[in-house]
Parts: sequence; C-alpha cells; structure tokens
Amino acid sequence: MTATIGPVKAAPYLWPYDGSVPVDRVALLCIDWQTDFCGPGGYVETMGYDIALTRAGLPATARLLAHARALGVLVIHTREGHDPDLSDLPANKRWRSAQIGAEIGGPGPCGRILIKGEPGWEIVPEVAPVAGEVVVDKPGKGAFYATNLDLVLRTRGITHLILTGITTDVCVHTTMREANDRGYECLILSDCTGATDPANHTAALHMVTMQGGVFGCVATSDDVIAATEV
Amino acid sequence: MPTVDARPGPYSFDPSSTALLVIDMQRDFLLPGGFGESLGNDVSQLRRAVEPLAALLAVWRAAGLPVIHTREGHEPDLSDCPPAKLARGAIGQDGPYGRILIRGEYGHDIIDELAPADGEPVVDKPGKGAFYATDLDDLLKGIRSLIVTGVTTEVCVHTTVREANDRGYECLVLADCVGSYFPEFQRVGLEMIAAQGGIFGWVADSADLIKEIQR
Repeated sequence: MTATIGPVKAAPYLWPYDGSVPVDRVALLCIDWQTDFCGPGGYVETMGYDIALTRAGLPATARLLAHARALGVLVIHTREGHDPDLSDLPANKRWRSAQIGAEIGGPGPCGRILIKGEPGWEIVPEVAPVAGEVVVDKPGKGAFYATNLDLVLRTRGITHLILTGITTDVCVHTTMREANDRGYECLILSDCTGATDPANHTAALHMVTMQGGVFGCVATSDDVIAATEV
Repeated sequence: MPTVDARPGPYSFDPSSTALLVIDMQRDFLLPGGFGESLGNDVSQLRRAVEPLAALLAVWRAAGLPVIHTREGHEPDLSDCPPAKLARGAIGQDGPYGRILIRGEYGHDIIDELAPADGEPVVDKPGKGAFYATDLDDLLKGIRSLIVTGVTTEVCVHTTVREANDRGYECLVLADCVGSYFPEFQRVGLEMIAAQGGIFGWVADSADLIKEIQR
C-alpha cells in the first residue's frame, strides 16, 4: 500500500482538491534555504534585514523533511544564483542589488554574493540535501523559469506540490504561481516559510486563500503530518 | 531618456524599446453582473483603473508606441484548463455574458472602453501569468521595458511582473491603472513590487508617465 497525504486541514479548502494523493505523486519543494538568504553574513543580512525572520521556518521544515524522507516523498531543493561570469544575471537585477548595498557577484563575508559555488550560495546544514534528492539551480525568483524543474516533475509523475522555503512573498510565491499555472495542486506551509518583512509573509499567505484558493492552499507542517496515512 | 518619478527610485526607459502591457481588462472581471461580481467581489474597485488607463492609452497610441493586451481564458472544450483550477471555479459554466472565461464568449473579451486598436496584439493566456504557454516573450523581441497595467493587481498583474522580471524586463507598474477587488491587496501588492530596492520593478502614477511622454 502506498502512503497517502490528505485531506489536509488547510485554508480555504481541504487539500488537495481531489481528496488525497499517493505520496509518489507529491514533491516537497525546499526553496532557497541558502546561507545568502538565511545565514550569517549572507546576502539578506548584508542588505540589513533580520535573518531571524528568514530562519524562523527552519526547525519545522527540518522536521517535515525527516517525515517526507521516511515516506519516500520526492524532495526537491532549489538555489537561486548566477554563473561566476554573471552571464545569466539581468542588468537590472545587478543594478538594484548594488543600489541596496549588496551587489550580486560582489564580495561578501560568505564569498561572492549569490554566485554558484560560493559558501553563501550553499544550502544551510539544517535542511541540506541528502544523496538522491534533486537540486534545481535557478537564475530568477521562480523555480520554473530557465530550469528543468517542470521536466523533472513530469518525468517523476508529480501532480501535487508542498512548498517550503524563503522568502514567502518573493521566491516561494513566484514559484507557487508558476506551478499553479502549470496545473500542479499546491500547498504552502505557513510555519515552513518566512519573509524579510513579517507583514509581507502574512499578506502573501492571505493572497493564496482568496477567490477559493486562487493559487492553492495554506496549512502547517503539523497539518500535513497529521493527514498522512501510512 | 524619459525618467519617471517612481518608487523605489526614478524609472528611465527608452521609448523605442518599451511596450505597454494591458492585462485582462475583460468583461468577465469588470462588468457588473459578471463572473467577478458573482464571486462576491466589488467590481467598482477594478473599474477605477479604466479611466486613467483609457487616458494613458490615448497618449501612448498618439506617440506611436506599442500596446499588447492579454486575456485569461480557456478553450471551449476546457482541454487547457488544469483540473485543480476547474474544481475551484465557475470556468466554463454559463454566466450572464456567455460561458465564463471561455475564448470567443462575450464576457471573455476586453471591455469596450479599452478595446484593442487595429494591429495591437492580444495574447490569450490559460494562466495568471502572461508568459506561460503564450507567445508573449516572442512578441517582445527588441523590448526591454514594460509599462504594466490591468487587473488584478495581486493575481495576474503580479504573476506577470514576476515572470517578466525573471526574464530581465524592467517593469513599471502604474498604481492608478491596476486594480484589485481588495484595497488591502492593492496596497500590499504595490508595496511588494518596490520592496527590497525594487525586487520586482518600479511603481508610479500614470500622470507622471504621461508627463514624460508628452515632454
């Protein structure tokens, strides 16, 4: 018997829309849990934001990861970053990061900011990938644009996504919107996400629940664990 | 180069590589008695954007600059509507303006006040974002800057701006030419665009853009 997830006590409806889903059709997305976004000396801290806010979802995500691994759920990690020669860095993105005092590609306490291969670009140890898990490198906020994520999901027969990561209103939301347009049934977890501005975290979660769940649903990691049938 | 007073800072654009994007100003979303209102939404919140947008369109067209319209909708047989989306909404059902959000129906088309002019492309999209499963990126060859207008601010406008930003386009969202059914999301949606040094782009009022075009 394959384990299933659902119905999860979520807002605005019991997730997923089709009642429950076998775990082999679910992927757990861990978005951009990188030192640059939640570690000391990374990009977000260099911009002057409080990393306690972006780290807040780490313990719950680590616990959910253990649960997902035990069930055999496909785990996919993403990393935002650019090639060392900056050939895939849009000019305006570079300009804006310079304006705010943390230029992408420039030197930082954790190596060149948001550059592939640098210490700051690595995923933090609490939720680091283990052997066999997929890692998707993306040049933008969305994990679908200019990546093989859609191909990986379709090849594995994935239809349902559970989203964790940072930041709620930027990379997680952009990815959820892309996934939703592609027909994936999405669930974002309020305790496994976080933003540089708590008000944006709250607003981003609220937006998901409008219009009958315009991008999917919101729940907590406990709700997912409680709705798992082995 | 024209430079518009914007948040988080001045927005400069070269008119020869700039297009105006008008997102989903469709009857289904905007007309009283339509799909939007049937969901319990206050359509007057969206209609506030119509007049400023019509004024901007007139100036923009007079300057000979490109306009691209989008419409959200699905094939009559619903073959391009994801099951999860179908399960959540009224898509394909009969409404006062024809089958809701179905291509070719009266309600799916753009409101009369903002009707596309001859030669202006209309991009039909199955999702919230205007780049996914459309030819918008091809239509934008040679374009670097996008002036973004339309509805709704936090759903289709935001998704499209996020897609455009990842593709390297410089987006200016016009606060008075976009609309949300919910004032709170209008405010937060615009704030998110200009946050963190303009993480998705810039925000300005249409009057400041018009001033620059007419200069």
